[in-house]
Amino acid sequence: MRRAVLAQTIAELAPEHVVLTSLGTAGRAWRDHGGPNPTFYGSDPMGAAPGLALGAALARPDLEFLLLEGDGDLVMNLGSLLAVADATPANLRVIVFDNGRYETGGGQPLAAAGRADLAAIAAGAGWPAVRRLDRAASREEIRAAVGELLATPSGPALLVAEVDQEASPYGGPGEHSGAEARVIFQQELARWEATRTGMR
Amino acid sequence: MSERAEQIVSRLSAGGVELAAYLPDSWLTPLIDRVIAEPRITHVRVSREDDAMAVAGGAALMGKRAAVLCQNAGVLLSANVLAAFALHHQLPLLIVAAARGGAEDGFFYQMYKGQVTAGVADAIGLSVHRVDGPADDWLFERASEQAWLQRRPTVLLCSRDALLGAGS
Repeated sequence: MRRAVLAQTIAELAPEHVVLTSLGTAGRAWRDHGGPNPTFYGSDPMGAAPGLALGAALARPDLEFLLLEGDGDLVMNLGSLLAVADATPANLRVIVFDNGRYETGGGQPLAAAGRADLAAIAAGAGWPAVRRLDRAASREEIRAAVGELLATPSGPALLVAEVDQEASPYGGPGEHSGAEARVIFQQELARWEATRTGMR
Repeated sequence: MSERAEQIVSRLSAGGVELAAYLPDSWLTPLIDRVIAEPRITHVRVSREDDAMAVAGGAALMGKRAAVLCQNAGVLLSANVLAAFALHHQLPLLIVAAARGGAEDGFFYQMYKGQVTAGVADAIGLSVHRVDGPADDWLFERASEQAWLQRRPTVLLCSRDALLGAGS
């Protein structure tokens, strides 16, 4: 499964979600191939994205959140799975882009890559709904798995999607500072919410 | 419930805090228990302090004021998240930290925390206040406002008396 296909499928099926991404290839795939959803692109430090998503979801229970998470980001803070499981945010879904290595950093494998099962770890941490999607999944299977994740009656729910190992070089410094990126997201979100509620 | 904890939570709520993520310290136990019982504050258990900072930052991103309750060791642990996440994105959050390792603390292993935390927090770029007792209670209320106006984390380094009451 190519990252682009997964991002495109998410964009088709999740137009009503606020998207948060971790640093790295998951966020880059969404930026290049995702939808127009209000999106906050996470930056350093790796390992903070699940906590960020948890805080956001708890702060705004009226919105649906989707975290696009890199496996490298997740393994830097596996304890965050416990915090999310404990808080049980009903409005948080997570898709882990699982390629088993630090793609942007040079392709080095994660510790225990190929042996560790992130879906099993999440289930063992107490997540009530966990799914796994094989690397060889067809487009139909990808669509079904993402659809099932989004249709889970109550969160948190997590899908570990095995994606191909594809080069993902640094894209340059970006156009905006961290503070500017935060303001842009908040403004995008405000406009999106106003549109949805007809309050423009 | 501890009267001291009641006073602190009242101040935190008056300052607009609606979410608190925490890890225990024995000096924080009454405050954490009171926060858990407080319906105006969503409480979040974490397993590392830097995760608490991320949770609070996520709440701030969505427009909610949030606090982290932890030992000062958590401030040291969280240096990267505070600098690279909270300060990078200018996300305000309030840290209520038990200032272990002061003159009133009786453990060898706590001493380094008292020696280095304020300096490290200052070097990271946080606004740092010492809270030594009830006379400083206004900070529990106003520090979240300061964080909000400065768009950066503010840390309160709280003595044993400040958290548990004089002579506890």
